[in-house]
Amino acid sequence: MPVFKTPFNGYSVKFSPFYESRLAVATAQNFGILGNGRVHVLDLSPAAPALTELVAFDTADGVYDLAWSESHDSLLIAAVADGSVKIYDTALPPTANPIRSLHEHTREVHSADYNPTRRDSFITSSWDDTVKLWTVDRPTSVRTFKEHAYCVYNATWNPRHSDVFCSASGDCTLRIWDVREMGSTMIIPAHEFEILACDWNKYDDCLIASASVDKSIKIWDVRNYRVPIAVLNGHGYAVRKVKFSPHKRNLLASCSYDMTVCLWDFMVEDALVGRYDHHTEFAVGVDMSVLVEGLLASTGWDELVYVWQQGMDPRAV
Amino acid sequence: MEKAINRQQVLLEHLRPSNSSSHNYESILSASACAAGDSAAYHRTSVYGDDVVIVAAYRTALCKSKRGGFKDTYPDDLLAPVLKAVIEKTNVDPSEVGDIVVETVPVRTVNRQCSSGLQAVADVAAAIKAGFYDIGIGAGLESMTVNPMAWEGSVNPKVKAFEQAQNCLLPMGVTSENVAHRFGVTRKEQDQAAVDSHRKAAAATAAGKFKDEIIPVATKIVDPKTGDEKPVTISVDDGIRPNTSVSELAKLKPVFKKDGTTTAGNSSQVSDGAGAVLLMKRSVAMRKGLPILGVFRTFAAVGVDPAIMGVGPAVAIPAAVKSAGLQLDDIDLFEINEAFASQFVYCRNKLGLDPEKINVNGGALAIGHPLGTTGARCVATLLHEMKRRGRDCRFGVISMCIGTGMGAAAVFERGDCADELCNVRKVESNNFLSKDVL
Repeated sequence: MPVFKTPFNGYSVKFSPFYESRLAVATAQNFGILGNGRVHVLDLSPAAPALTELVAFDTADGVYDLAWSESHDSLLIAAVADGSVKIYDTALPPTANPIRSLHEHTREVHSADYNPTRRDSFITSSWDDTVKLWTVDRPTSVRTFKEHAYCVYNATWNPRHSDVFCSASGDCTLRIWDVREMGSTMIIPAHEFEILACDWNKYDDCLIASASVDKSIKIWDVRNYRVPIAVLNGHGYAVRKVKFSPHKRNLLASCSYDMTVCLWDFMVEDALVGRYDHHTEFAVGVDMSVLVEGLLASTGWDELVYVWQQGMDPRAV
Repeated sequence: MEKAINRQQVLLEHLRPSNSSSHNYESILSASACAAGDSAAYHRTSVYGDDVVIVAAYRTALCKSKRGGFKDTYPDDLLAPVLKAVIEKTNVDPSEVGDIVVETVPVRTVNRQCSSGLQAVADVAAAIKAGFYDIGIGAGLESMTVNPMAWEGSVNPKVKAFEQAQNCLLPMGVTSENVAHRFGVTRKEQDQAAVDSHRKAAAATAAGKFKDEIIPVATKIVDPKTGDEKPVTISVDDGIRPNTSVSELAKLKPVFKKDGTTTAGNSSQVSDGAGAVLLMKRSVAMRKGLPILGVFRTFAAVGVDPAIMGVGPAVAIPAAVKSAGLQLDDIDLFEINEAFASQFVYCRNKLGLDPEKINVNGGALAIGHPLGTTGARCVATLLHEMKRRGRDCRFGVISMCIGTGMGAAAVFERGDCADELCNVRKVESNNFLSKDVL
């Protein structure tokens, strides 16, 4: 299975929504604590070496997350640890990049997500407790959502409703927002500990998964948010990212500080359907491809990016 | 620095969460003493341009003499492919090489019996340090098929008057029996050491570990009965017996002394082979863009009682380690020549070394001991294994006993402190400013 070694520690990996063989990796030096960062755009080819680098962009601080644009096939949003949001165009040479640098967050930007339905805007969440809404053409943010009491680790758009998104914060709550409304429309006290990630189900627009420091993943129905639909236990340490499958309604992938990537089917009693322990350091980034069914990618602090088909061993040669 | 500390705190909270309702910004990160071992005695200096570094070390496969793959190969044809490989793989211009020091073959020869290969490497390192030249090759070569171990000249009769001088002429096997007897190394321990050596060598060969260091040699084999010549390419050590066991070795009869413990099974094999090591100043290696396989640190040759010459390593290793400013504990990997299992076991036990660190890919009992080659062969095996082990393995030692009563040892350091970055883009024009500044 293809492997790529990055010079810095991996933080996030995302498949391109336009090209099935393209993915981008966000990396940061020295585990993201101090130093530079780099965004790699990789190409997956059937011939060896399977994962090759198409282009890379250097940043002054670590890159914690990235998001591919849904409107332009070469645009990439990078969430940088120095509080800036950078927009890269892979079609332009590295010297012409980044094409935009938006610096409004006052602390580390932890996640970026592009609106899949409206396709003209994206949200970024930051450790300054806010989520900001941006469009690619405007130099300043469209709106700032400030309600959380601690770092907002993740913010993701609803796949069906173009104005709804969810945010996960270290203040132990999930908040659902509608960009047309004044404040948050729903507050879910999902866990007793920090919530590091959230994601919407791609087939049921009312289901959200939340991943927490308490090592569990909870599935919530927003229509009845008092009690979770399912609680997925199995990780040994805090769960860092969670991603619902674009192809199977009940399948989700998660990665954790316990160095594993797990696959879950939340409708089944024994929910854990797959566990991959290929990483030798914290596994902090995972993604499932929209264009190729069953294709998974993960990255971790061990400076490796793996791309593999569900069911196969990521380390197989 | 504030930012870094805050980030560390956030990450730590994910792993060791405190009370969920309060985020204590003043919480102190507890520091604990680093448990990782440190070569504390070794002065942590940065690398110096005048360090003598090894950029290439290769060997031929080692084959049983008289019956093995090289039985019909001239010694020169053993060394030539290795020398060629050392030059070709590093793209060094042959005219830049200052000297080639070889055991038994000119350009310049050195003869310190079993340690000649290592002595050759040490001589080149010393000459480079002295500034005689910048690039040199230390090599070892032995065809015991063509040159069996024997002294054909005459001996000064006065030797008979001095016991120690007379003992210099003792057959090696007799010194092995002396060591076994005087220090109580049992037959079983010796056979077990041989079995371990074969097992480790077989495992290493099967895992392809020797592929990096062995240069295939295209030669011929002559059928002794028909005289037919067959071209062959030798790239695998042919002395290794993966399935040997203590019970099998117990059947062998002692060779050197009646009721002795030294047999053909627990003595090093008589072999043919060659090895070469390319050394240069670090500044030269960096200029040429050559990756550094190892750094030559110190060398020591010591004298011991000729009757028990096998104890050589037990005296030489501490000497070399001390002159490197290190402790025995700082050494991560050893290659101690297994001339005889008796002396090898004695040295290992005397120095209290961790068996897991010694001859991890097998030793002379399995692979063979072509006298002059062994030193150079060990350099290739040691440095390639240290490279495989990564940063965990910083210092290595090679040592052997020497017939006539000596021991030699050398300390090497793993090359290149930084890991190899295999897919990092080369920066074309570097003005050392971050792009965001521009």
